Amino acid sequence: MTESRAPRDHVHPTMRIALLCVVSVVQFGLCVRPLVEYAYQPRWVAVAAFTVLALVTATCGVWVVRRMPIPAAVVVIGTVATLAASAGATHVLPPGGHFGTPDWSFGLVGWHLLLLLLERVPVLLTALAVHLTASLGQFLLAGVPDRAEIGAAGIVAFGTASIQLAVVPLSRMLHRRSRQAMSVTAERDRLITRVMSAEQWEREQRTVFAGQLGVTLPLLADLADGVLDPRDDDTRRRCCLAATQLRRLFAENDEVPDPLVHEVTACADEAERRGVEVSLAVSGAAVAVPSDVRRELTSPVVATLAAARSYARVSVLRTHEDVRVAVMADVGTNVVTATSPLVEIDCDTYGECVRMEARWRTRNS
Amino acid sequence: MADEEQLSAVIVDDHPAVLAGVAHWLSSGTPPIRVVTSGNDVRVAWLGEGAQADVVILDLHLGGPTPAVGDLRRLVQAGRRVVVYSMRADDVIALQCLELGALSYLTKAEGAEHLLQATRAAAAGQAYTAPSLAGALAGDRSAHRPVLSVRETEVLIQWFQSQSKEFVAQRLGISLSTVNSHLEHIRVKYAMRGRAAPTKAALVARAIQDGFVQLDDL
Repeated sequence: MTESRAPRDHVHPTMRIALLCVVSVVQFGLCVRPLVEYAYQPRWVAVAAFTVLALVTATCGVWVVRRMPIPAAVVVIGTVATLAASAGATHVLPPGGHFGTPDWSFGLVGWHLLLLLLERVPVLLTALAVHLTASLGQFLLAGVPDRAEIGAAGIVAFGTASIQLAVVPLSRMLHRRSRQAMSVTAERDRLITRVMSAEQWEREQRTVFAGQLGVTLPLLADLADGVLDPRDDDTRRRCCLAATQLRRLFAENDEVPDPLVHEVTACADEAERRGVEVSLAVSGAAVAVPSDVRRELTSPVVATLAAARSYARVSVLRTHEDVRVAVMADVGTNVVTATSPLVEIDCDTYGECVRMEARWRTRNS
Repeated sequence: MADEEQLSAVIVDDHPAVLAGVAHWLSSGTPPIRVVTSGNDVRVAWLGEGAQADVVILDLHLGGPTPAVGDLRRLVQAGRRVVVYSMRADDVIALQCLELGALSYLTKAEGAEHLLQATRAAAAGQAYTAPSLAGALAGDRSAHRPVLSVRETEVLIQWFQSQSKEFVAQRLGISLSTVNSHLEHIRVKYAMRGRAAPTKAALVARAIQDGFVQLDDL
């Protein structure tokens, strides 16, 4: 809604400024001369009508130059005053002056009405019709005109009215075009924003990846340099760890409803590929876990699964107060995990079996 | 308890391989459990020999996408002891089955040992809490869940995580029978809420007899 209102606010103020210029030029450039030259009976009525119209223009100008809509009260008073001034000025025309050079007010009043009622098209049309009818009525009441006079009056009335009425479709068309242009611009802006955010996301992902490839890169370098022997158990274990970390890292960026379970499943899948029998259990409804906490929660799973020999039990449990990711597995060596400020890590060994649990309290109580 | 007589069970499942496998597990257990009949329709549990079986082993997903909750309710209301044996590990459905009065909820990932124990317990009118069900109970966040003690919650969680009661006992420094009695107590707490069912009433009555629950708790 705001988008469609913005161009309207833009077109109408500009149109009104243009109309203000037209009104000023017509009134002070074209109407002063007949007012001085012709004999109006009484003259003060014509002067008063001119003054009223000048006042209406000036009052409208107060809002128009500030590009603000003219208040309804001003519009009502201005319209009534304009029509009254028109009637007064037409009433005191010299004989035979209707629609001719002495009739300075006929065209000017139409411009005034446009200036006042540009946004209120039905009222504008009514006011213009009233103005035209009143002028014609006064023309006919002033005496029976001959055919030439009727023709001349018709041409003037038709010409003036059609030019003034043309402003209405013109402003509508401008308004429509302006709205189209605005929506195209907004769409383009949206696209640019999306492109920029996608680029930023990609840059961030590169940084995150680069930061987390830490274990993999030296390992690959050592393997390539022949420092490490691929037949060595320890090297294999390090490869398993790197592979599991990478799988978890790839899973981290997938758009899934339950990212924590998705990442744990990826780790389990990696262990299953090595022939480890993994039993994965998930309970409790999914809760939103921030990605850094997820990384901490899954890190014991990664370490333990990478070291598992033949079986592992992985479980994810979401209770009303915490999220617990636990893994039990038969591991050959000691599993090392970093302690974390975000999650509590609990590790026990029972013979060959290791139990590792990471716990994140959703409620800080 | 039907110690002298051989226990009997009826299996309702729509997969022939599952029917055959479960029948084999039950009949080769020690002591063996007799499978009186089996089929892919719940009618086998109501007709003929099936109507007399001690335990009904019911698959919740009989061909259709919607679980056969209505069948479970009718069986339980008729006083039948039902072990739900489902393909899916779905906490909501597991809790709903307990609410209706099923004595056990097992997922098919849980093997023969859990099914045998659940069937024997059910034949005696007792509840059996398998690890997946323990997870569902520990993760229960519904407003009307019963209040569990810290130790009970810990037993549930450890059992869910390890699948080994020996491990739970060792870790928490309690005996195996204490682990079992905690699990039983939890099930009694669950049986005391919600809709009434003959099996649930029997569970609670038994718990009172055994001194697990005081009458004040009710």
